[in-house]
Amino acid sequence: MARMKFLCDADRCIECNACVTACKNENEVPWGINRRRVVTINDGKPGERSISMACMHCTDAPCAAVCPVDCFYTTVDKVVLHSKDLCIGCGYCFYACPFGAPQYPKVGNFGSRGKMDKCTFCAGGPEADLSPAEFQKYGSNRLAEGKLPLCAEMCSTKALLAGDGDIIAKIYKERVVKRGYGSGAWGWKTAYKETIAI
Amino acid sequence: MSGKKTKEALDRRGFIKVVSLGGAAAAASVAPGLVTPAEAYDPGKEETKGRYRETDHVKAFYRTNGY
Amino acid sequence: MLIKRKSSDAARGKLQAALGGLSSGVMDRRSFLRRSGLVAGGAALAGTIQIGAVRKAEAAGMGPATGTKVVTNICTHCSVGCTVKAEVANGVWVGQEPAWDSPINRGTHCAKGASVRELVHGDRRIKYPMKLVDGAWTRISWEQAISEIGDKMMEIRQKSGADSAYLLGSAKFSNEGAYLFRKFAAFWGTNNVDHQARICHSTTVAGVANTWGYGAQTNSYNDIRNSKTILVMGSNAAEAHPVSMQHVLSGKEINRANVIVFDPRMTRTAAHATEYVRIRSGTDIAVIWGMMWHIFKNGWEDKDFIKSRVYGMEAVLREVEKYDPKTVEDITGVPEAQLKRAAETFAKVKPATFIWCMGVTQHTVGTANVRAICNLLLATGNVGSAGNGANIFRGHCNVQGATDMGLDVGNLPLYYGLVEGAWRHWARVWDVSYDALQARFDEVPAKGGRPARTRKANMETSGHTSTRWFDAATMPSEQVDQRDNLKAMIVFGHGGNTIPRIPDAVKGIEKLELLVVADPHPTNFVSLAQRKNGTYLLPIATQFECSGSRTCSNRSIQWGEKVVDPIFESANDYWVIYKLAEKLGFASDMFKNIRMVRGKFGMEPEPESVLREINRGGWSTGYTGQSPERIKLHMANQDKFDVVTLRGAKGSPVENDFYGLPWPCWGTPEMKHPGTHILYDTSLEPMNGGGAFRPRFGVEREETLPGGAKRTVTLLAEGSFPKGSEIRDGYPEFTFGMLKRLGWDKDLTPAEAATIAWIGGNAPDAVSWANDLSGGIQRVALAHGCIPFGNGKARAEAWNIPDPVPTHREPIYTPRPDLVAKWPARPDERTLRIPNLHTTFQKAAIEKGVAKAFPIILTSGRLVEYEGGGEETRSNKWLAELQQDMFVEINPADASARNIKDGQFVWVSGPENNSKARVKALVTERVGKGVAFMPFHFGGWLQGVDQRANYPKGTDPIVLGESVNTVTTYGYDPVTGMHEGKVTLVQIAAA
Repeated sequence: MARMKFLCDADRCIECNACVTACKNENEVPWGINRRRVVTINDGKPGERSISMACMHCTDAPCAAVCPVDCFYTTVDKVVLHSKDLCIGCGYCFYACPFGAPQYPKVGNFGSRGKMDKCTFCAGGPEADLSPAEFQKYGSNRLAEGKLPLCAEMCSTKALLAGDGDIIAKIYKERVVKRGYGSGAWGWKTAYKETIAI
Repeated sequence: MSGKKTKEALDRRGFIKVVSLGGAAAAASVAPGLVTPAEAYDPGKEETKGRYRETDHVKAFYRTNGY
Repeated sequence: MLIKRKSSDAARGKLQAALGGLSSGVMDRRSFLRRSGLVAGGAALAGTIQIGAVRKAEAAGMGPATGTKVVTNICTHCSVGCTVKAEVANGVWVGQEPAWDSPINRGTHCAKGASVRELVHGDRRIKYPMKLVDGAWTRISWEQAISEIGDKMMEIRQKSGADSAYLLGSAKFSNEGAYLFRKFAAFWGTNNVDHQARICHSTTVAGVANTWGYGAQTNSYNDIRNSKTILVMGSNAAEAHPVSMQHVLSGKEINRANVIVFDPRMTRTAAHATEYVRIRSGTDIAVIWGMMWHIFKNGWEDKDFIKSRVYGMEAVLREVEKYDPKTVEDITGVPEAQLKRAAETFAKVKPATFIWCMGVTQHTVGTANVRAICNLLLATGNVGSAGNGANIFRGHCNVQGATDMGLDVGNLPLYYGLVEGAWRHWARVWDVSYDALQARFDEVPAKGGRPARTRKANMETSGHTSTRWFDAATMPSEQVDQRDNLKAMIVFGHGGNTIPRIPDAVKGIEKLELLVVADPHPTNFVSLAQRKNGTYLLPIATQFECSGSRTCSNRSIQWGEKVVDPIFESANDYWVIYKLAEKLGFASDMFKNIRMVRGKFGMEPEPESVLREINRGGWSTGYTGQSPERIKLHMANQDKFDVVTLRGAKGSPVENDFYGLPWPCWGTPEMKHPGTHILYDTSLEPMNGGGAFRPRFGVEREETLPGGAKRTVTLLAEGSFPKGSEIRDGYPEFTFGMLKRLGWDKDLTPAEAATIAWIGGNAPDAVSWANDLSGGIQRVALAHGCIPFGNGKARAEAWNIPDPVPTHREPIYTPRPDLVAKWPARPDERTLRIPNLHTTFQKAAIEKGVAKAFPIILTSGRLVEYEGGGEETRSNKWLAELQQDMFVEINPADASARNIKDGQFVWVSGPENNSKARVKALVTERVGKGVAFMPFHFGGWLQGVDQRANYPKGTDPIVLGESVNTVTTYGYDPVTGMHEGKVTLVQIAAA
């Protein structure tokens, strides 16, 4: 069974933010919520590298582990989703997540948080596939359409890979062999706990 | 491109004609202050089913990511 | 589906450590901006938008579900030419999908491309025509707008002449829009017509065309996949042309290519280089000549290439000798060993390509910079083959096409100069009388010691450049070489904050009698000054709201289909140009051979028909083979093209064609020329996309040697010729006379011969490949394996332009006044219609001690999220969220010496007009000590004052900020009038 994964090739990522706006465009994510963002380390210095980050759909998702209302679930594709009907916006998952994926809309004037929002791997949520209700709460469901997350599909330099973990690992390995260098697949081990040598 | 949209599947963008009807209701559902009982979410088979398929669209993604 | 808490408790320590590693002590542009900006902008907006509030859904209405259709268009931002796949439902653009088949972007986009859908939903667009009535924006109808504008233009024409109206066009026009706008200027009777190429690559076009014939990128983005050495100078492609980096990085990986980046700033492109070379801004010639010094010293030059295909390299050598490593290090700051390594790599690890952008072109020595680079390419034999060449990355989506269409003060469409023969050529194409065109131009009286000009002479005199339009409005009339000052600015799709000296521009805007801004957004022309009357805003559609062709940087032409109808009361360029022409009384002549179709507001020109007219006249540049049908066929068969060679697959409908029929695509469409992927490539037959350097500077030249002796040398190629050529040596351009001498005139069909006779009148021998409307001369030349424009040598020495051999010149505002004695700015002169006082300004700066009072070099550049003046992109909520503040990058040493903390407001003050800008400080080592950088996409603040109220209600961009050009200064290229955008001096202080 294919296992969905993200992998950002830091030697390709140029911090163009296509992934960020593609996500906004596809899922109509409002201002102030970023399901995906690009982080740059050593900004402006030799060794500067950028990585596009979102929910990594962890094998053993820490967000799910700390959720007091247990609103998370994992699909057969190993995509980590959650129910906004159950979510109470407590923010625990934000603290548990190593990638800073959970986001909360500001819904009142006193800093009160709304329901948690995060990357769905463009796989919608618990509502019926491709239903209006699903789109309004979770955004699009590209997996159900036979597509992949738009962030990766539109990545300017083909840095952000998404899809069947075995296939994207192979693509990445081929690159490392071809170019003779690779800075490691950032976040891979944290999210998937695999010692796969890439 | 993908050509994989089946007739019976809801057209991805098709639903949006209906959305504006349900707009108010949907907005209410994400409004704050809705207290939810702290029960474990127990999704059924339908929610957790596999959706990924290696369509032409997906293959094009893999292909253009190679050299 | 419960996950055991225990298992993740154990993992938590590790996970937190991973998070810590990322967030501690790391400061980047995003987190900087998140901290500084999100609170204000974000909170305000977040409160008003609910998750899942799907505006697109509302817009789509509730009609019956009819399914979606996919429309293909081209991204309207940079020149890479990414295909956009738009999903449209019920007339609403509801989604974007990857265009996997495009050989250019292969599905991808940058931040801008991935958010173009927002442009046609933009609630900050101009919604209806407006005018200022005593300082208040008032809604008017299109009819009233066109009528009043036309009347005012006629009034100004009566009083001050046709040249008093400036027609500023756009690199965002389609080819058809650009062509119509240029044609409009010709019918109005002025050469005061320009567009953004002036401020992006005008010096490239001048420098490159004066070297080897055509002013364009020689190869393509895709071809960089073949390069073994990629030298990037003054280009930050990772932000300005992100999708090009897909090809650059692929080339780097596949060939293990060297990527060497020369820049004053450690850019995001430099972060992916194999070597980064920090140079002082404005010393490009010294850098290039420093490399050449090593190349010639060590015999790394390509002697055969120089011998057979280059003229005048000796003169260059004499100049290069002055640039020994010590001198070069003193000027540029580049250590000898590093420059030598770069030179050796570029000369020996071939094919090597040179990529450049505004860091090279936007200088007082821009044209000379470009020519120095061309010489480096020529000396190392790195032009005219796969993997090498001058890969000039142009700016806007159609800046190449708009340049081709002659939106330029010195050209008619397709680079026909302003000479009588060229005017007569276009008069024939347009089917109007040459005399009638001439009668439209002003007579210019004698003034300022200059002789008077007849209508004919004025028709053949280059216009006034856009970089100094405000000088032409405010200077004493005597100094402006036209009948009167500028009184009206008609601005289509052009920012008002993209050229230096904004305080002076404000005075210019206030002085105008008529200001017309035709644009999707109001632009800074509207917001900079507080005008009371005589100002019109016309809502113009984006290219997603109309059809037409656009030419990307690599000369490929792509067709964009209209995605949705123009929103609100917007109209497309075609209709507005037509209506203006109609009001001014020349529409029937101007559109006599152009098909009119029903559009949103009535009859409008059909873009296909306009392109066919371009095809009928575009012989000089090979814009004749790209019929709408052929281009559309390419768009429909994108998947048939190879990603490296751009060649159409065997057996496909586009077999052998290069993608987008990159010009020159010779002859008629029926001749099926494949287009030219790589210019000047002698390894292919001309009929198959091959070529040679273009001998446009004569066939021979008498030279005076240093000793005083004279000799005549050939300017034609020696022993080099395209594959399959029947003439196995150099040859001049083809004319009917030359065909007769070769005995090839018999190959002409009777119809072709008749056309040549009609054009030639009593001198048919002079009819050439460039004005033979039958295409016969081109066809016959190609049939004999010859390139129609001839087979010449490239010029290392361009004897007829200023600084024929480039020489280093210190910037006007130099931080090194000690070098000025040896490397001074050019003497004062006149450039086109206006004085260009290089030396006066440089001297004054030194006398005033500017370098001491303003010790920091300021340079400027792009950010990935925004484009150009930025009004459109700063109005796009998905982009605006990512860059909410204008900032200045300042080195930690300079910041600490000034007690400036990261993220705080500072004043950046410039040396002219007591100018100052209030921006946030971004303290970073990206810039060296003594250097600051500011992005140029901001506007809407002026010297600390928020001008949001100057915009008509609801049209203000989400993000406003100071424009860098408030503090940039005087300085203009002597050939093209390009401004100095990359070197000035500033002081920075905490605000």
